[in-house]
This record gives sequence, structure tokens and C-alpha cells, in this order.
Amino acid sequence: MQLKPVAKGVRRQLIAASCALLGATAARSQEANTASADGGPGDWMVDFALAYYKENSGRITALEPVVNVHKDYGDGKATSFNLTYDSLSGSSPNGAVPSAAPQTFASPSGTSLSAAPQTYTTSSGQVEVVNAPIYSIAPGALPMDPNYHDQRLALGGSWQLPLSRLTRATLGGDLSYEHDFFSTSLNAGIAHDFNQKNTTLAFGVNGEFDSVKPIGGTPVPGSDYALFEKTGGTSKNGAGALLGITQVLTRHWLAEFNLSVDRFTGYLNDPYKIVSVVDSSGNTTGYLYEKRPDARTRKSAYLENRLAWNRASLGLSARYMTDDWGVHSDTAQLHLRWWDPEHDRYLEPTVRWYRQTAADFYTRWLSSSASQIVTAASADERLGAFHALTYGLKYGADLDDGSELSIRLEYYQQSPDNRIPGPGALQGLNLYPGLKAVLLQVGWRFGL
Amino acid sequence: MTVAASQLPAQALAIEERTGDVLAVRFTAMASPCEVLLPATDRATAWELGTLVAREAWRVETKYSRYRDDSVVSWIHRSRATELEVDEETASLIDFAGQCHELSDGLFDITSGVLRRAWKFDGSNRVPERAEVERLLPLVGFDKLSWQAPRLVLPAGMELDFGGIGKEYSVDRAYDLLATSRSAPFLINFGGDLRANRPPPHGPWQVGVERPDTDRHAALVLELEHGALTTSGDSRRFLLKDGVRYGHILDPRTGWPVPDAPRSVTVAASSCTEAGLLSTLALLQGARAEAFLEEQGARYWLLR
Repeated sequence: MQLKPVAKGVRRQLIAASCALLGATAARSQEANTASADGGPGDWMVDFALAYYKENSGRITALEPVVNVHKDYGDGKATSFNLTYDSLSGSSPNGAVPSAAPQTFASPSGTSLSAAPQTYTTSSGQVEVVNAPIYSIAPGALPMDPNYHDQRLALGGSWQLPLSRLTRATLGGDLSYEHDFFSTSLNAGIAHDFNQKNTTLAFGVNGEFDSVKPIGGTPVPGSDYALFEKTGGTSKNGAGALLGITQVLTRHWLAEFNLSVDRFTGYLNDPYKIVSVVDSSGNTTGYLYEKRPDARTRKSAYLENRLAWNRASLGLSARYMTDDWGVHSDTAQLHLRWWDPEHDRYLEPTVRWYRQTAADFYTRWLSSSASQIVTAASADERLGAFHALTYGLKYGADLDDGSELSIRLEYYQQSPDNRIPGPGALQGLNLYPGLKAVLLQVGWRFGL
Repeated sequence: MTVAASQLPAQALAIEERTGDVLAVRFTAMASPCEVLLPATDRATAWELGTLVAREAWRVETKYSRYRDDSVVSWIHRSRATELEVDEETASLIDFAGQCHELSDGLFDITSGVLRRAWKFDGSNRVPERAEVERLLPLVGFDKLSWQAPRLVLPAGMELDFGGIGKEYSVDRAYDLLATSRSAPFLINFGGDLRANRPPPHGPWQVGVERPDTDRHAALVLELEHGALTTSGDSRRFLLKDGVRYGHILDPRTGWPVPDAPRSVTVAASSCTEAGLLSTLALLQGARAEAFLEEQGARYWLLR
């Protein structure tokens, strides 16, 4: 066979092709070099983080170590597991309003206002003997249970596997254990890419099964605190679905939009929260255990825009949530990231703004003169109207061995809205204390 | 890269003192002796820079080796005609191979490796039957791939072989890594494909090009100030039957050795990738090798 001579311009074209090859890969090679902690297919990546959280005025302090291991098998398959341990302690508001007179309460484990061990029989016939630590609240002070202690152990796993070249499925499950609460949840999702992988549609469902077993029994919602009407353990269940679309708009811009809905039914109360009953002079005449509706349906919409350049990226997101309890919330978040490739380090400032309206049944206190039967009432500040701001700063740097160390500091400030002055003796007392908290997290990420 | 680092045996790198105050960090990658030459450098720095270069060489080798089950190439070969999505680096290499295929009019072809099933260049006289080669030809041809970056469909039975560009490519990759952290002179040499950034303090680099048929004896010594130098050809790999010598350079379009191919071609260019392709294409030109290199205006040294 006669070989056809190669055209003369080969070298020029070859130079162009070589430049394209080496130029295109130079940036990535740099990236691979600096982002070595991200590992390659087949590596187990370990993220270890230790967070310290502290609220103001001697409220909750938490220490939370988290370990997450992740393996990307490279062909669309990935597995991750996480283990979280929380240790919380401190004081937690019990829901009652301050009073001009001293107030005495029993910690959640107590069944009556007595310091002696108490015996009671649950509805299932089980006999429990509990100690009832008593705590007293000075006049004018916010009633907080100082004996708040909780430990939580949570284990989660997730699996991703490709169903076809453009479709992948995820499966996940979580277990969470506290001495008075056990939660099991499962989720499954499917994502499909189309439009040359510029668009991804995702659909997911999840189910949650919780068993609630408050120490000393489950208070009968809306019952008199002093009568300690309690039953045995109870439960709540939930299910939800999410529909999302992610769209690559330009080389530097990605947008994501999600709609989600979930519904929880069962015992949705906080068993340790009470509501003060106050007469027209502002004197506390008693307390009721809070009573929330036994179903809650939430709907939310979420929009996120992510913009990325060589050395900086920006994330701007907004969420709107509404539920049939009357809580509507808005969240806006701005997230920036500067990256210094010469020294493999980055800085991430974040600002988050949040606002919510109160649940229809939220009340700071109940009036003793109102003769109607309480259908639902809660003084839990998390169901009240408030706005909050979070400021965060994270710094991360690659170490010589390829691992990444990061430090995150966040400051959170929650301010109650719609403050209603109390009657008579309650006037001048701070019924809406708000909340300030700091979070310090140290993270270490490395490959195995 | 984390993997490469953890799998790095302590004895995999060796530092050697050469004449002229040059430290050579030596290691093996891609079945070739490799070295980084560093004039007037302390041992700790040499070790650090050598490690950087070796890791890059091992990374490319691990990723594109035909002999490793965990390589991208093996993953592609296991795909059995299903559509794959390859990573960016692999896509760039396939794109590059496609451009070379096009501008060489099909002479350069990363799918030609299957011809090795028929041809074993072991110095014997086992020249394959014509029919045996014919049977393999349907499995050769870059244009038979369905390639729309990053999506690839490799027809069943076909193979990709990055061996023709991988070594040169990894020299350039390692060069870029080193050049960002060092302006002092260095030379990277992976089995005869080399690239230097600048000459050492006392005159240019002296590069010996081995004469292919006489082991270890430099046939010529070239002087290199900066840029890349690659050598293609291996005259120890041939078949001899009925007085006809069959060299190991196969024409992917016919499945037969290119007649009258030079024993070795050395080309100088600005990058190893460019030089390597020029020297490979020159070999594939057979008797026209010199004419081709002249036409391209390349600096070359050729042994017949």
C-alpha cells in the first residue's frame, strides 16, 4: 500500500493540539495537587469535626464530635457513613413566664413538686421510681430547668448507585438515639441528567419513625402540671417528598430549585415544656403542659444560585417555608469563598438572615379568666415569632501531608418579634429573652 | 495522589551525585528508568522535588496503564460497548489522540494496540498469517469510536493504548509542576524523553542518545539548553523471516510493519508531547521520515 504523505502543516497543528492538551490539564493538575485531600476514586475520605456550641446566660452548652467517612468508587457508586455524638448540658427555658413571686418546678424527671423519690404507674402497668430534683426560680427571672442533660448518638449511611448513564439512585438511613427518644428514618431518591448533563431532575421520598419516651412518662397534653397526668411512651411518624431541578446556566453559574413537602403525625409536643396560666393581675396561678396539634404539614421552596470563578465563589440562597400551624419562615443566605491557590487555603464568610411568624397556638401565657377549653397552646420560643442573624467565618488550609484543616466560627442572634407586654405584675419583666449563641468547629479531612 | 504517597516505598527514590555538582533523583515509572537532574541543589530539596515528579509519573502510569485493573484504561476496556463518561484529563488525551489521528491521516492511532495480538516482536521469525492480521483490522481505527467528549463508546473488542503519548505527556505534566515551584535549572528524563527549563550554570545539558543496537553506548551526544527531546524507535524489537526484517512500527491502516522505518528518531521541540508525536509520526513515514521532518522544520537526529 502506498502511504500518503502527511501534509506540511502537521507541526503547527501538533503544537496547537499539544498546547490544548497541556493547557487544559495544567489547571486541573494544579487542582489535583492542591486538592489532594479530596482523594481519588477508591479512597476512603474521612472528615472529622469537633464542634463546641454555647448559648448565652448559662443556657445550653454542647460538645459534638462527628465522623464522616466517604468512598467514591469512581463509576457513579459512592458510600458514606457518619457517626455523631452530642453531649448537651445547661439550662433550658421550660416555657413558663417570669413571675413577681418565686416559682418552684420539678425537673422533667419529676412527677410532682416534691424532693422525695416518687413512684408512679404508667398506663402499661410499668412501675417507675424516679427522683424529682426541684429547682426554684427567683422573682423576675426566666424559668429555666438547670438540670438539662442529654446525650445523643446518631448513625447514618447512604449509598449512591448508577441505574443508567444518566440516572442514579440514592438510598439512605439514619438512626438516632437519646435516652428519651429514638428515631429511625429512611430515604430514597432518584436523579436524572439530561440536556447534555446541564439539567438534573431529582425526586426523593423519606419516612421517619420516632418513639418518644420522656423520663417520668409522657405528659397528657394540655393537662395541669401539678397533677402529673402521665402516660407511657408514645410515637410520632413523618413522611416527605422533594422535587428538585438543578440547572447549569453558564460555565460559572449554577442554579438549583427545590420544592418539598412533609407531614408529621402523632405526639408532636415537647414533653418538657409548659405554659403559665396567669390571672389579670399578672400572678401565675398554675401551669399546663403544652398541647400542640397532632399533625403538621410543611411545604417549602428553595432557590440557590452558585457562581464560581477561579479564586472565588458565591452562593446566594433563599427559602420559604409554610405550615398548617401558621408558621411561615423566610431564610436568605449569602456565602462567599476566597481561595488562595499558592498556599492552598481558603476563607469563607457567611451571613444568614431568618424570620418566622408564630404558630397560631403560640402564646407566651394563658389567661386564667378565659373560660374556653384550650385546644392547643405552646410557649416554646421556637414556635414564636422571631428573626435571627448568623454570621460565620471559616478558614481552611491544606497541610503538608495532603490533609485539610478547617476552623469555623459562627455567631447566632435570635430576637423575638411581636412582644406582648404582660398584665399587672408581669409588666416590666422580660418575657422574651431572645438567644445568642456561638459555635466553634474544628475540622480535619484526610484520605485513607 | 494520596494513594501514590502512601504506597511510596522508601527505596523507590534514590539520590545520586553526578559530575558538575548535579544531584540526580532516580526512580522507575512506566517500565523505564526516570530521573530528575538538579544542579547546585541540597539533598532535602532534591528529595522534595524528586518526590513531586515521581508522584506525577506514578499517577499517570497508574491511571493509564493497560496492566492495572484499577486504571482508567482497564475500566474503559471493561465497558463492552456501553457508553462511558470519562474524566476531564482522559477526555483531553482522547481529544489529542483524535487530532493526531486526523492530522496524520490515520497513521497515529491509539486503537492499534490490538495488533499486538498478532505481532510479537521477539526477534524470532514468527510473522503472522495475513488472515490473522486481517481479522484484527476491524478492531483498529480511531474513527470507529463514538467519541463526543466526555462520552465514549468503545466498540466491543477494541482497545485504547495511551502508551504512545503517556510518557511524553507525563514528562510535560511533571515539568509544569516543577516549573511552578522552581526557577533554578532542572531536567526531567523519563526513559529518554526529557525536558529542561534552562541550562545548568556551566554550559548546556549534555544528552547522550543511545544507539539502539549497541547497549549503553551513546551514539551521539546532544547539547540541550532548554526544551524537550524525545526518541522513538527500538531496533531490538523486530522479526526476521526469509531475510526480511519486520520492524515493530505498525501501520494501523494495514496492520503490517511500516517498511523502511528508521531505527530511531530523536526530535527536539518545545514540549515532550510535541516532540514525541513528531518522532513517532516520522517513524510511521518509513522511507519518508527525513523528508517529513525536513518539511516540518524539526531539529532531528535519525538512525537508520
